[in-house]
Amino acid sequence: MTVTEPLLSVGDLCVDYVTDRGLVRAVDGVSFDVGRGEIVGIAGESGSGKSTLAQAILRILPSPAVISRGQVLLEGRDLLAADEAELRELRWKRVAIVFQSAMDALNPVLTVGEQIIDTMLAHDFASRGAARARAGELFAMVGMPPDRLDSYPHQLSGGMRQRVCIALALALEPALLILDEPTTALDVIVEQEILVQIRALHQRLGFSVLFITHDLARMLQFSDRVAVFYSARLVELGPVAGLRNSARHPYTQGLLRSFPGIHDTGHDRVGIPGAPPSLENPPAGCRFHPRCPLAIERCRVETPELREFAPGHVAACHVAK
Amino acid sequence: MPYILQRLGFYVFAAWAALTLNFFLPRLMPGDPATALFARFRGRLAPEAMLALRETFGLTDAPLLVQYVTYLGHVLRGDFGISIAYFPSPVSQVIGTGLVWTVFLAGTALIVSFAIGTLLGAVAAWQRRGWLDTWLPSTLVFIGAFPYFWLAMLALYVLGFTLRWFPLGHAYGDDLTPGFTFTFLADVVRHAALPIGTVVLATLGGWLLSMRNTMIAVLGSDYVNLARAKGLPPSQVMLRYAARNALLPSVTGFGMALGFVLGGSLLTEIVFSYPGQGYLLVQAVRNQDYPLMQGIFLVITLAVLGANWLVDLALLWLDPRTRESS
Amino acid sequence: MSGPRATRATGITAWWHAIRRDRKASIGATLIAGFVLVGIVGPWLVGAPDALVGVPLQSPSGAHWLGTNGQGQDVLAQLVVGTRVSLAIGFAVGLAVVLIGALVGVTAGYFGGRVDALLSVIFNVFLVLPGLPLAIVIAAYLPSGPLTLGFVLVVTGWAWNARVLRSQALALRRRDFVAAAVVAGESPFNIITREILPNMMSLLVAQVIGSTVYAIGAQVGLEFLGLGDVSAFTWGTNLYWSQNDSALLTGAWWTFVPTGLCVALVGFGLTLLNSGFDEITNPRLQMERAWRAHLAARGRTPTRSTPVVRDRD
Repeated sequence: MTVTEPLLSVGDLCVDYVTDRGLVRAVDGVSFDVGRGEIVGIAGESGSGKSTLAQAILRILPSPAVISRGQVLLEGRDLLAADEAELRELRWKRVAIVFQSAMDALNPVLTVGEQIIDTMLAHDFASRGAARARAGELFAMVGMPPDRLDSYPHQLSGGMRQRVCIALALALEPALLILDEPTTALDVIVEQEILVQIRALHQRLGFSVLFITHDLARMLQFSDRVAVFYSARLVELGPVAGLRNSARHPYTQGLLRSFPGIHDTGHDRVGIPGAPPSLENPPAGCRFHPRCPLAIERCRVETPELREFAPGHVAACHVAK
Repeated sequence: MPYILQRLGFYVFAAWAALTLNFFLPRLMPGDPATALFARFRGRLAPEAMLALRETFGLTDAPLLVQYVTYLGHVLRGDFGISIAYFPSPVSQVIGTGLVWTVFLAGTALIVSFAIGTLLGAVAAWQRRGWLDTWLPSTLVFIGAFPYFWLAMLALYVLGFTLRWFPLGHAYGDDLTPGFTFTFLADVVRHAALPIGTVVLATLGGWLLSMRNTMIAVLGSDYVNLARAKGLPPSQVMLRYAARNALLPSVTGFGMALGFVLGGSLLTEIVFSYPGQGYLLVQAVRNQDYPLMQGIFLVITLAVLGANWLVDLALLWLDPRTRESS
Repeated sequence: MSGPRATRATGITAWWHAIRRDRKASIGATLIAGFVLVGIVGPWLVGAPDALVGVPLQSPSGAHWLGTNGQGQDVLAQLVVGTRVSLAIGFAVGLAVVLIGALVGVTAGYFGGRVDALLSVIFNVFLVLPGLPLAIVIAAYLPSGPLTLGFVLVVTGWAWNARVLRSQALALRRRDFVAAAVVAGESPFNIITREILPNMMSLLVAQVIGSTVYAIGAQVGLEFLGLGDVSAFTWGTNLYWSQNDSALLTGAWWTFVPTGLCVALVGFGLTLLNSGFDEITNPRLQMERAWRAHLAARGRTPTRSTPVVRDRD
């Protein structure tokens, strides 16, 4: 197997929010790769910084955010050094994103078809007719009836709107698809349908996926590799089997215990005591230490680095074996 | 389209409320206005005039309900009674002469001000730096704090009286005959420049700030963020995604501001001796010409209600969400 | 069992401190304080406004700082005396329309249902009827004077507050602490006065300020038309007489310019006070400010895409 360059390479990325009380770091020194055709999941609680990470890659974070350190390479191109024109060219063609709330992500005054067509016209397509035809194909791909191209967002159900967003994201056949909590706002049955659809499209078209969610169980079903986020930091990263069977970080272990598998009969569900720390005033040393059952003195003062425990499986913990 | 019919129903109700208010006001006041007026104009009003006055107020000896119905009948036929100041001209005739000038003045000023203010507000929010976003809004708000008619007085004094760039009043030169000729229309524009200009200047700040604030909020929304992520050119993001949506509250506010701006416009007319409803209002107040006053009130109210309904129609077109039943 | 009291955004003292911190609001407060001072103390420092002190339409001079009007009276004296009346009526009306608007709006918003439907129709009708013509027809039948003026101003001005306060009451009604009070069996009157109104304090203050601006402007407008007591000395009647005496056409700018300036300064000052207040309740504007400062300190201008600002760590 040849070693190919990763599609996306994030290195020591730091993203801050500027407030009148100082800087709040929402992404702290995060590094990971996404290979071609790979599905990488990022799990973490709300407010841990996952969405910030997703939007930082595209550099679409709104105003109080600044990127303070690090590197983001997409197919070898430095996204952090790119200017507006370059970013505009790369966006959607090479990397696209699906937001959590499709209702808010779609322009209320334009038809959904129009919102797909204008994207295509802005990039490759020369004629409206060709763009509209392609939009019809995309709708068919995600299981939407073609006559819905002329509907307005408020006329569609939540599940349909999310399908529109997925169709939109795939319009220019990007190499990387970022899904930022794509099914959190939907009910369970629709959620399953959407994920099945995405996986089918992934197998057919071969794009990479960066899948961000707080639902660890879903992520384990869906991804090839999983990264675990806690309080702006990456605490564990590895292949899905490795994480499911032998998670090293106590936080990951706690997460696994708190989600039931559908076929599970074994353990009781146990939550993680305490609450996630605020990003404004995080604990010193390992940020998980106040809630960690295995914490020792070293954890309170020294920030753990990512250590390799098995091939491709790293975790940041002083105590893990 | 139940939404638009609902709104129409509301305006019809409001019109009815205005009519009823007009009916009851003279009856609620102490004394009998007709007799009081007759006492004032003693000797100058013939008995027929007295009868006409009583008829205007519907102050016959019939029961109240009959008076009310008679009154409604008159109004729906366009009969607002006889004017006292312009006796024996009927009120509808007196109002008719000035109505087109008021509509021209206020209508043009409103549309121009809204268009320019909204556009500037959108650009100001998009740029967020430079003079457009820093001192222009504050300056315009300061200018807007002056009464419209005072700005009119100042403009008249500086640009008309001192510099003699613009005429000192009226809608057109006394030597011209009205008609759709170029010279006449050009003269009308020359005479309208100052009145329209002052109302525009006074109201510009409001539209600018309102659009700018809404736009800032909209620029932070997910769909604008997604539009950027899609790699759309900035002009499209600003216009089709941001401004199109930010416009909606401003259009809604336009309807509400209509009546208010119209009031200021009427006072501006007075300063420029513009032959519209404002001038008639002053005469009506001075001469205690109740029929004329009430006639003007009704006509202006109906015009404002009609304009509001047109704004609702515009909203129907601009916002697809209103097209569903509410 | 009461809801959040005196939180950062709603307490009066917090509001006062925020005003002092914000430059716009401080300027506004200073302006208003100045005018209030003139209104209170001024009339004792100037001569009688109705005294015939000189030749009519004299331009400003050492003897008469703002000249004389068409009757030969001192313009400065009229301006200062007018300040007291105009501000007093303006503020009284501003307060009154908010009280009435609160009564109607909060009742409608809290009780909902038929009560809300009925009250909403009423204030919506008042909102859509054009104010100036309505004020004129009502005032024409009443004796001229400050009471009539105040009355028509209130009648034409209360509806806007009713609408705004109803929205706020509706939003608060849905909050948890109100629901808890309802479940606990508190009477509506208690809930409204103890839970809802205190949490609307900052909005109420802002509305009073905004309504005072409206009241002063509308008052001046009506008086300019001749509906006030034209023998009284207020800002509006000053302008009425200026127009009446054809000041413009004789070049006597001092008979109307200073008065208009005062109206504008008071209106602007009140608006500044309110807009400084706006920044307090609109956190988005505050966030932007810190961000811009951060960028500017590093010599960068705001960009559309998330900026990359590397510091030497």
